[in-house]
Amino acid sequence: MKYQIVIAGIGGQGAVFLVKVLSIASALANQKCLGTENHGMSQRGGSVSCYVKIGDFYAPAIDEGQADLLIALEGNEALRNIQYLSKDRGVIVMNAPKNFPKVDFETHSIDAFKKAKAKEFPIDALNVYMLGVTLALDTHFPFTCKEIEEAITAMNAKVAEKNIAVLHQGMNDAKAVK
Amino acid sequence: MKQILMGNEAIALGLIHSGVDMLSGYPGTPSSEILGNFQKFRDKFKLEAYAQWATNEKVGFEVAYAGAISGKRTCATMKQVGLNVASDPLMSASYIGLKGAMLLISCDDPGFYSSQTEQDSRSFAKFARIPVLDPSTPQEAYDMVKLGIEFSHQFESIVMLRPVMRVSHAREICEVDDSLYVKANQGNFERNIPRWGAVPPAGRFRQGLEQIDRLEAIKLWNWEHLIEPKTHLLKGSRVLCLTSGTGDGYVKEAVSELGIDADILKLDMPYPLPKENLEALFVKYDKVIVFEESFPCIEEQLSSPKLYGKLTKHVHLIDEFSKDKVLSAFAKAGVIEPNHAYQSEKYNKELPKRPPNMCPGCPHRDVHYAITKTFKKKKSIYTSDIGCYTLGLNQAAIDTILCMGASISMASGFSISDPDKTVVATIGDSTFMHSGVAPLINAVYQNHKFVLIILDNSTTAMTGRQTTPERTNPNQIDIKRIIEGCGVACHEYVYEQDLNKTVDFMKSLQEAYKTATAPVVAVVREFCVLDKENAVGRLGNVVVEVDEDKCVACDSCITNYKCPPMHYNDAGKMEIDPFLCAGCGSCLDVICPTDAFVKK
Repeated sequence: MKYQIVIAGIGGQGAVFLVKVLSIASALANQKCLGTENHGMSQRGGSVSCYVKIGDFYAPAIDEGQADLLIALEGNEALRNIQYLSKDRGVIVMNAPKNFPKVDFETHSIDAFKKAKAKEFPIDALNVYMLGVTLALDTHFPFTCKEIEEAITAMNAKVAEKNIAVLHQGMNDAKAVK
Repeated sequence: MKQILMGNEAIALGLIHSGVDMLSGYPGTPSSEILGNFQKFRDKFKLEAYAQWATNEKVGFEVAYAGAISGKRTCATMKQVGLNVASDPLMSASYIGLKGAMLLISCDDPGFYSSQTEQDSRSFAKFARIPVLDPSTPQEAYDMVKLGIEFSHQFESIVMLRPVMRVSHAREICEVDDSLYVKANQGNFERNIPRWGAVPPAGRFRQGLEQIDRLEAIKLWNWEHLIEPKTHLLKGSRVLCLTSGTGDGYVKEAVSELGIDADILKLDMPYPLPKENLEALFVKYDKVIVFEESFPCIEEQLSSPKLYGKLTKHVHLIDEFSKDKVLSAFAKAGVIEPNHAYQSEKYNKELPKRPPNMCPGCPHRDVHYAITKTFKKKKSIYTSDIGCYTLGLNQAAIDTILCMGASISMASGFSISDPDKTVVATIGDSTFMHSGVAPLINAVYQNHKFVLIILDNSTTAMTGRQTTPERTNPNQIDIKRIIEGCGVACHEYVYEQDLNKTVDFMKSLQEAYKTATAPVVAVVREFCVLDKENAVGRLGNVVVEVDEDKCVACDSCITNYKCPPMHYNDAGKMEIDPFLCAGCGSCLDVICPTDAFVKK
């Protein structure tokens, strides 16, 4: 299998956490995995992008036109990274308002900020929420819900229960707007 | 045993599995997590090992080197820019050699993700005449740490490991050793004055000759153990790609995905190279292309009319590698037709700019604001330094940034070259300890008149909140007493989230400057908002909103204060993003000319 994921967001949203979860999930699914994350200058509020390459790869960075999936924790960051998506296979899962610009890819969008403002889920779990949305809507996503749950538990067992609840909330909300 | 490891974790584990029990360094992205992870593993496995941050890279190197000449297995960690600071001891240590083992880890940053310059530490290894290992993935980094330590011991030479950001901050499922047999190794310094006492010239000359002999032996070892076994796997294409480090991954992927007919030979130790043996391989090929990041380290050691690379302008000279750059090099060398398989259209409409910015609630923002409010831009020069406060650039509160400690020495220089302006220097506590003390002594010694503000949040915030000297030993090392020890008064201000008070403090410095004959030095006692221990109870809990009737969209707040939650809404008025706001309430104070910020 070869599957490449770009995770985009702004500093403080937990993109790096998703890289860790997905690399653990790869190990659980017996797949090779190479990922990379930007540290250092990406303070809170700055753009952050991370890559996860699952399968037989040698270079950690994803090149333009190659990614199967773009998970964007913020809509504009999806647009900023759109060149990484494969023209044939690329899918976007993003947190964006309803009146967001249309792009030429299969796009699944949910207004997670609106839901967080209405206190439907805690904003610091936005990353896990969007992972739930991805599980529900990206039909080619290479992991099952169970594998992701196991990975979240392996990451940090103490907060796993809360995170898994948000994961399912993301899945349910996504199915509802579909 | 398989483990999911980030490159820097893999390196730390490799050090432990190699029996290294003495580690010293200075933080710098992308190297910072090596020492922290080493401490984590040490505590987990209950090992006896020294692993501490030093005041700067030169000091860190020298501590680790002393351990190595006493026969211990040691390591110094830093980033490429830090190696500049440590280059002084490195050059001599390379002559003298060692008894135990020492790995010098210098992490490079191709693409300038978090550095001022794109340097190639391999070139420094070449300059210092020490062998360098160039890993391409976390797994290789782990393996090469173990190889490097053994090799260092065998050849009595410092060995450099040069991971780049895409190795240090990559994550991979790695195969690592199962169990630990590590126990603390005992150092025992044996007196040998002609060897360890570096006085020129007689002894040095002999050591210089020994160094050259050692290099010849390492070249041969490089050929016999690392390169020659791989040559049997070459398939006999017309084109040979010589790769090193991360360059290898990009070439491998591009060649296999696009079916390009080329042989790939990865050089694990890019210096010193067995030139004659390698060039003998070229006979079978029409073209040899060198893919390496960042400088032409391999290319400079070889010569052949068949050679294509950076020196011949076939490979890019600056920025991180990518598969698109690999294809471009193949095309320029006439191996393939121009190919744009790895190019895609960007979104071409305007997007919100998100330059790196200080965290919401960060005291540095208030200090920079107060400086520009008090010392007017036209009549002042703002020198600054390396750390989070460098992001005061966003507030136009910084005019110069050069390297660690330079804010103070450059303030000295400007006070002489442009004496009509007030020079205001800013520097963090960690950077001050790293290389600010010597320039302060110089400034007092020479009676240079400027304002120096030391921003003391008691942590190395930018690289991930590593400890600083005064944090670990607050009763012994104190910035105020260092300043007083230089013979000048220390103006002290304990930061509060009332911006008016910070501005008032700045005005008191301005008053002191009027009659001063030496530097006016101040320390602002701050905290880092991400520092759980210190920030507790010091961050406010004020929810601020904007009175849209009062907001006249004058840009004053986002130009001079520039807090991340501030943005314009659809109505063209300022709005505070509740998900980003830290609740410090500083914006309620002096920053809005129409008082549009109000408590909710």
